[in-house]
Amino acid sequence: MSFLETKHLLGLRGVSRNDLRTILDTAKQFREILDRPVKKVPSLRGITVVNLFFENSTRTRISFELAEKRLSADSVNFTSSSSSLTKGESLLDTMKNIEAMKIDLVVVRHKGTGVPAFLARHSGAIIINAGDGANEHPNQGLLDIFTMEQKYGSMEGRVVTIVGDVRHSRVARSNIWGLHTLGAKVRLCGPATLMPRNRNFFEAAGVEFISDIHQALDGADAVIALRLQKERQEDSLLPTLREYRNFFGVTSEALQHAKPEVLIMHPGPINRGVEIDSSVADGPNSVILDQVTNGVAVRMAVMYLLSGGRADE
Amino acid sequence: MNSSYCFVGAQAFVDGSLQAPADFWVENGKWVPGPVANAEMIEANGAWIIPGLFALGVDFQEPIRDDVYTLKDGLEAMRRGGFAEALYESAANPVDDIQKLKAMQDACGKSGLAFHFLGALSVGHQGKALAEMLELASGGVVGFGDGDHFPSGLRFLRLAMEYASMTKMRCFFQPSEKSLVGKGCVHEGHFSDMLGMQGIPAQAETIAVHQILELAGWLQVPVHLKQISCAESLNLIRHARARGVDVSCDVSVNHLLFDDSGLFELDTNTRLLPPLRTLTDREALWQGLSDGTVQAISCAHHPVLPQDKDTNFEDAVPGAVSLEIAFAALLPEALLRMKSGRNALIRLFVEGPAQILGVPVRSLALGHDEPFFVFSPGEERLVKMSDFAGQVHNSPMLGKTLRGRVLGTMFDGSWRTNLWK
Repeated sequence: MSFLETKHLLGLRGVSRNDLRTILDTAKQFREILDRPVKKVPSLRGITVVNLFFENSTRTRISFELAEKRLSADSVNFTSSSSSLTKGESLLDTMKNIEAMKIDLVVVRHKGTGVPAFLARHSGAIIINAGDGANEHPNQGLLDIFTMEQKYGSMEGRVVTIVGDVRHSRVARSNIWGLHTLGAKVRLCGPATLMPRNRNFFEAAGVEFISDIHQALDGADAVIALRLQKERQEDSLLPTLREYRNFFGVTSEALQHAKPEVLIMHPGPINRGVEIDSSVADGPNSVILDQVTNGVAVRMAVMYLLSGGRADE
Repeated sequence: MNSSYCFVGAQAFVDGSLQAPADFWVENGKWVPGPVANAEMIEANGAWIIPGLFALGVDFQEPIRDDVYTLKDGLEAMRRGGFAEALYESAANPVDDIQKLKAMQDACGKSGLAFHFLGALSVGHQGKALAEMLELASGGVVGFGDGDHFPSGLRFLRLAMEYASMTKMRCFFQPSEKSLVGKGCVHEGHFSDMLGMQGIPAQAETIAVHQILELAGWLQVPVHLKQISCAESLNLIRHARARGVDVSCDVSVNHLLFDDSGLFELDTNTRLLPPLRTLTDREALWQGLSDGTVQAISCAHHPVLPQDKDTNFEDAVPGAVSLEIAFAALLPEALLRMKSGRNALIRLFVEGPAQILGVPVRSLALGHDEPFFVFSPGEERLVKMSDFAGQVHNSPMLGKTLRGRVLGTMFDGSWRTNLWK
C-alpha cells in the first residue's frame, strides 16, 4: 500500500504538495545511503519490478535498475524490440501477461502520451511513468527539483527558467507542474515554433513565456537547458542550429543576466555548443552530474513510497 | 555651387495636405524661413513640393539581369518618379542570411536614397527551410517575405509565421494559390474565354488571402498582403480586420489604372502577375483606397527585357515598370475617384508604406532636411520609351497620356533637374 496519496506516479500534474514533499524528503535519506560504503538496503526485498522500456533509453533505464538493486528488489527488463509486441501483440495483452507473472511494480516508458495511465487503469500493479510522449517525465522533474532544493532548501519564490524545445519536452512539463506546486516561478524561453501554442493552462500556473533569453534569465535562480533534437531543423521548426545557439543557447554571455549563483541544469544527453556551451555545462555552477546521482535517490524514494515502505524503517 | 534655392509660389505638402502657394526657401537642403541671400530663384507657380515618395514592391532584378538593368538604373527610375525611399525585395537574390543583407545594405547605402529590406521567410524563397529570421531582424530588416513565392504547404506557412512572430515584424505575402494559377496568363473571365487564353481565377488570390488571414488571426502575426487585385479579397480583409487581425495591404499602380477590358489589344506590357482583373475589381480597389481598406500603393516595379515582351501574350514574361510614372499616371484618376484626391494620393505614397513598416513617416518641416521633389501637375505629355531608366520600358502606360511630371528632386541636399531625356 502506497505511503503517498497517489497510488501510481503518472506525472507531476495533480500530485499534491504533501506527496511531493514526502518524496523529496525521503529522497534525501536515500541520497545519504548512496554515499555509504554499502549502498544497498533491504527495503524492497520480495518486490518484483519490471522495467518496460518501449522507447530507447540509457540513463533513465540504468538509473531505475540501479535504484531497484539498491533497494534489493527483483527486477526484470523488457524492451519492445525483444518482446511479443513485435509479433503483433497488443499493449494490453502484453501487460496482462506480465501481470500474470505477479509483478508488483511497473516502470514504463513509451512514445505514446497516456500509456502509463492506460496501464494503470488495466492493471493491479503500481505504475511509474518513466516518460510518456511529450507529456511527462515525473522522475526527471523530481530529481531536478531535488537538485535545486539541495542548493536552495525550498523552491518557494525561486525563479526557474527552462530554455529550449518546450513543445516537445516531457521534462519541461513535469518540471513546470512540480515547481508550480512547490511555489516556484517558471519561465519558458525558446523559439515560438518550439513553444506551446495554447498557453492558458500554463499561464494559469503562473508560467511566463519570454522569447528573449536575456530577459528570461534575468534574476533566475536556476536554468534548465533542454536537449534540442537535431531533427527539429529538418522538420522546419528551426532555421539553423547556429541561429538557435546564438539566440537560445545557454552561454556565458547569456548567463550574465542571471544571478551569479544560478544553477545550470540539463536532463542529458547534452548537445554541446548547441543548447549549452561546454564552458557552462562544465563550469562551477553546473549541477548536471549531481542530477544524475540524485536521480537514483529520487527513484529509490518513489518506488519505496509507492510500495508502502518508509525510508527510516 | 549654389546650395540655396527659392521655389517661387509653390504649394508645399505639410501636415497631410498641400498648402496655399508661397515661396519655399531651402538652404543646404533644409527648409528655412527665408529670404536667403544669393538663393537661386526657381519658378514654381502651381507646382507642388512633396516629401520624397516611398516605393513598395521594388526589385531591380540584380544581380542576374545586370546586363539590362542595374541598381544605378533603378535609382534613376526612383529619382524620376520622386521616390526617395523604398522597400526592396530581391527575388533573384533573396535576403536569407546576414551576409546577403549586409551586401544589399552596402550596395544601396551609397545611393543617397533610403532603402529598407525584407528578410526572407525561407531559404532561397523555396518554402522549405526557415531563414535565419532572428539574425536578419537584428541586422535591420523591417519585415519578412518570400517575394512573389507563396508557400505551397500550409504547415510551412504556419511555422514561418510563428517563427517570425518573435520579431514582432510584419510578414509580407503575395497571395496566390499556385495550383489555381497553373499556366494562366490573364484573369479568368469573359475576356479570357473570348480570347481562348488560360485564365487565373480570382479564387487563386482569395483562397490564399483566406488562408493567410486565418493563420494571422490564430497566430497573432501582423501580415501585409501585396498587390491585391480582387474585390473579394478586400472584403475578406475588411472582415478579418473587424475581428482583430492585424492586416495591411497594398494595390499596384497598374491594377488601379487598367483592367482586363483592354486585353483585346494584347499588349504584353499588360501581362502581369496577379493579372489585371475586371473593371468591377478595379473600381473596388479604388474604393478600398478611399475607405482605408488599402493603406498604400505598390509600384510593383519589375523590369523585363524588351525581347521577353516582344512575343505572344502567353509567352511574355509578366511584370511592368512604374516608378518613373506612377504618381503622375494615377493623379487624374485619384482626382476623380477620391475625396481630396491629390492629398490622398500623396499620403498613400508617403505615409502608407512607412506606417505599414513601422518606420518614420517623412514630412516637410521648417529647419529639417527631408528629401522632396517638385511636381508640376499641369503638363500633359505622351509616355515614351526614353522616359524609363535602363534598357527596359515594359509599361502599359507607354504611348498613353500622362498628366504632370517631376521637375526636380532635392534628395541628399542637392537639387537636380533634367530628369527626362
